[in-house]
Amino acid sequence: MAEPIVKYNKVTKYFDDLQVLDEIDFEIQPGEKVALIGPSGSGKTTFARLLMMLEEITDGTIEVEGEYLWHEKDDKGNLKPASSEHQRKVRSNIGMVFQHFHLFPHMTVLQNIIEAPVTVQGRDKKEATKAGKDMLDKVGLLDKADAYPAQLSGGQKQRVAIARALVMQPKVLIFDEPTSALDPELVGEVLEVIKSIADEGEASMLLITHEMDFAKEVADRIAFFDGGKIVEDGPPSDILYNPQSERLKDFLERFMNTQ
Amino acid sequence: MTFWEIIVSMLGQGLFTTIVTTILAAILALVLGFAGGLMRLSNNRFVRFIVAIYVEVFRGTSLLVQLFWIYFVLPMFGITMSALTAAVLAIGLNYGAYTSEVVRSGIQSVDKGQTEASIALNFTPAQRMRRIIIPQAFIIMLPNLGNQLIELFKSTSLVALITLTDLTYQANVLNASTLQTTEIYTALLVLYFLIAWPLTKGIQILERKLTEGRM
Repeated sequence: MAEPIVKYNKVTKYFDDLQVLDEIDFEIQPGEKVALIGPSGSGKTTFARLLMMLEEITDGTIEVEGEYLWHEKDDKGNLKPASSEHQRKVRSNIGMVFQHFHLFPHMTVLQNIIEAPVTVQGRDKKEATKAGKDMLDKVGLLDKADAYPAQLSGGQKQRVAIARALVMQPKVLIFDEPTSALDPELVGEVLEVIKSIADEGEASMLLITHEMDFAKEVADRIAFFDGGKIVEDGPPSDILYNPQSERLKDFLERFMNTQ
Repeated sequence: MTFWEIIVSMLGQGLFTTIVTTILAAILALVLGFAGGLMRLSNNRFVRFIVAIYVEVFRGTSLLVQLFWIYFVLPMFGITMSALTAAVLAIGLNYGAYTSEVVRSGIQSVDKGQTEASIALNFTPAQRMRRIIIPQAFIIMLPNLGNQLIELFKSTSLVALITLTDLTYQANVLNASTLQTTEIYTALLVLYFLIAWPLTKGIQILERKLTEGRM
């Protein structure tokens, strides 16, 4: 098996006295699409946010392409907290799409997309604009290039946010409940875009979702979180149709009932 | 003198001094306000402490006394300056303290998701501030900054008390020589209003331009 692109080693997270993640080991292979499911408060969002460095890790390590994300080795080979340069270097492999889009409201759609390539990656503005437009075309919003986010529907906003993340060419793309904030009739267009990225993409995906059908369709693997642990982890057919643990059975049953 | 002659006679040096004092003090206040507001949000406790002292001292004492202190007391310690410099310094420092609070709260009221999106796109903290947070915070701050500018402009009338020949000073001189008190101070009110009103409108137009179709 190839080297995993992401590797969690005994990752633990506390918010003050509250333990959210409990010594989690986890790997993502290059190009692998992994869906995270589980009840709210089970730790799946925190798990993903640690990879994006939006929360501080309490204990354990995360490696991305064999390099520590939160740590660096000192002269003696001991782990120490990483410098901000090191963090940014390793973090550049990761991208994220948020539940609430978080587009930059003061910029047009195209500016939203090319801002980070130009400012952060130092890419040529012409090249970035071309790449940005290609990406907008891919999510079907080329005609909205000069619109402001406030003029878009929720589904369109999320598609722009996806284009914005993709143009950075991340090796791992995190989707944090990308359709949970959308009106039901807008969910489909976003899922379609995510699916097309998954189908063509070399990028690995970490997809936090409550859309079980979608998870089954897109993911190579599903991990079920409960109480800060990964309770079950396997191919979608096993997880959804042949759950082993009581907790997953309960979760799926409750889930089916609310559908 | 007729009402018009009074107004015209104040339009020269007096108006010029009032406007120059306002512009220079406003620039100083804005620079200090942004520097102070950003430092107030620093992770370094010492930096935050220094700014807190500055803000509390200048907010907690009267502008007039600060003006007198800088112009009349500092020379006792060997620091002398022109009346205009003293005026700009006192007003700039005073309004800078208030402005730093406007800047701090403006930055803090930008949605936290904007910071998270910037981290996810790998911005450095400085890039994030400059490109993402401050442009949005500025629009939030604008009504308050506009109010402060008007307040600052009106407060320049105090500089007459340290011998600067601004609008108010000229009115006082004119009053002493003609004793047409009603006309002179009415003319003074009108002049201040005629400057303040376009400022208010200007800020409103700027605000509308910056938010049109966006927020």
